[in-house]
Amino acid sequence: MNALGLGGIVGTVLLGAALLGAISGMLGAFAVLRRQSLLGDTLAHAALPGICLGFILAGTRDLASILTGAFATGALAALAMMLIIRRSTLKTDAALGIVLSVFFAVGVVLLTFVQGQGNAASAGLATFLFGQAAAILRADLWVMAGVGLAALGVVLALWKEFKLVSFDPEFARVQGLPVFWLEAALTVLVALAIVVGLQLVGVVLMVALLIAPAAAARQWTHSLGAMVVLSALIGAASGAGGALISAHVRGLATGPVVVLIATGFVLVSLLAAPGRGVIWQAVAARHARARISDRRVLTTLQGLATAHADTRYPAEGGMLKTALGAMPRAAHLAGLEARGLIRPVTHPPETTPHWELTSAGHTEAARLQDKLLPPQADTAPPPLARKPRP
Amino acid sequence: MSRPADAMPESLSDAALHEPDQALHVEDLTVSYGTTTALWDIDLDIPPGVMCAIVGPNGSGKSTLLKTALGLVRPVAGHVRFLGRPVAQMRGQIGYVPQRQSVDWDFPTTARDVVEMGLYRRLGWLRRPGKDARARAMAALAELGMQDYADRQISQLSGGQQQRVFIARALVQDAPILILDEPMAGVDASTEAVIIALLKRLRDSGRTVIVVHHDLTTVQSYFDWLVMLNVRIIAQGPVAKAYTPENLRATYGRQLAMIAAPLDMGRT
Repeated sequence: MNALGLGGIVGTVLLGAALLGAISGMLGAFAVLRRQSLLGDTLAHAALPGICLGFILAGTRDLASILTGAFATGALAALAMMLIIRRSTLKTDAALGIVLSVFFAVGVVLLTFVQGQGNAASAGLATFLFGQAAAILRADLWVMAGVGLAALGVVLALWKEFKLVSFDPEFARVQGLPVFWLEAALTVLVALAIVVGLQLVGVVLMVALLIAPAAAARQWTHSLGAMVVLSALIGAASGAGGALISAHVRGLATGPVVVLIATGFVLVSLLAAPGRGVIWQAVAARHARARISDRRVLTTLQGLATAHADTRYPAEGGMLKTALGAMPRAAHLAGLEARGLIRPVTHPPETTPHWELTSAGHTEAARLQDKLLPPQADTAPPPLARKPRP
Repeated sequence: MSRPADAMPESLSDAALHEPDQALHVEDLTVSYGTTTALWDIDLDIPPGVMCAIVGPNGSGKSTLLKTALGLVRPVAGHVRFLGRPVAQMRGQIGYVPQRQSVDWDFPTTARDVVEMGLYRRLGWLRRPGKDARARAMAALAELGMQDYADRQISQLSGGQQQRVFIARALVQDAPILILDEPMAGVDASTEAVIIALLKRLRDSGRTVIVVHHDLTTVQSYFDWLVMLNVRIIAQGPVAKAYTPENLRATYGRQLAMIAAPLDMGRT
């Protein structure tokens, strides 16, 4: 690490934060695609009692025992949720809400109890609520790097199985894949990402570090591989950025800053991403409308020319208005004129403006006509078409 | 969906062939969801090499029958054999096309990638699809006229094109049995024609094609075998014998008025 010029406390914190962000981003991509975002929120909140129990049993703020405790109560919460969904008539969202609040309540009770005991080390426990990157120790880095490498290894080894199970678990089962175990492995990995990320972001906001990088990454790519890599990068940037800012402002919890940075990535991505961004879609829709208006003016002029057997038939403005339902805007006609497709002409003795198609305009009108009659009835909508999500 | 532990006596290692002459053999099958009985005492035989439609009104258990046969739903009682073997021994030899709405088409992947998923089982663990898988996927897409859309993101495909991708994914497995759940639901006429032509080619090459179908007007022209279902089996056999006004009435009951047209066709 010193070789990277990242020695000292700031280097440790930055590296740790980036690592945690990358792990969350990578696994968050799967959680989001499998619609498990809220499961992540429940697991994060349910980690709090485990953190406190780990501390009580170890007697110190030992990361390994705290993380083990967090993982244990997280797993217990997941189990409780599964039982409620299977054995009662409650729906998933209600089950998630109940488990989340009960486990979090137990966690807060334990936290206040531990802090009341007067153990000096217990002061650090409160940082698990909102995260404190400065609390990351050099020794913690090895735990994080180990978890990160293990998660990366499993994701790479089971890549195609994870992809199939995330996209179409039913088909995977018919294929004979062990879907239960693959889904369990993915869920355990997500739980692992949450548990190690708690130090950075805290139990309350952890779910944002899981969802936000994946949601932002999804906007920029149509490939699962690229999405996972991009999500990891955004997570790393958010983590490192948050750690850097909170390290420079005294008493500023890291979690909220990390989450705000990650949310910034989401906002920019939702607005500006090509193809899926709101701005991009608005511009594309505008272009599409302009193309349709062009087509209508040109084909109308061509139709009039054909009807009058005169390729240079001068159409009066009122004719266009009647044919199109409204007079085309002057700027619109000027645009077509600038492209050499139509030209204004006079038609004495009338004094009103007239337009005729140029030869280029005839060619263009014929081309547009052909496009209206696709050779194959079943063509895809243009890429900008927005499909309703199921 | 709970069931007594002794309801399904066969074990996965049970290799004894049971009705090996039938592509699909179902015996005494009963399925329930909670307190609702979805399928009641189903006995069914579909011979190999036919193109079979399963029809019935909504809620008659068509999809449940497929899912139970494929091992996705646990029956209360009864058992299922494909070519004489339990489904666990037939993995990879059954091409399955689920309902199109069963997945999120906004998933970040391409048409060819989805088709390659049909080869994952054959590839085995730790191996990535390579050139061979790519070529097979392209060939399957071409069979459905979709070769030009191979690299298209799946959310940019029309409903009919998505359905063709799903069928290509089952086709790429080169399985002797193909099972499709409402493949013609919500697709355009040209896609329906492409799908039916392909399914008939597969049938003519000796494969068994089993389709949950909802359009009674096309049953006679598309299929040669028919299963009529409404929780129980109403009729099964060659279309010419099974497609009768009496059986339609027994299957659809009060909905009869809505299907008056196909009934008339049935008389001619």
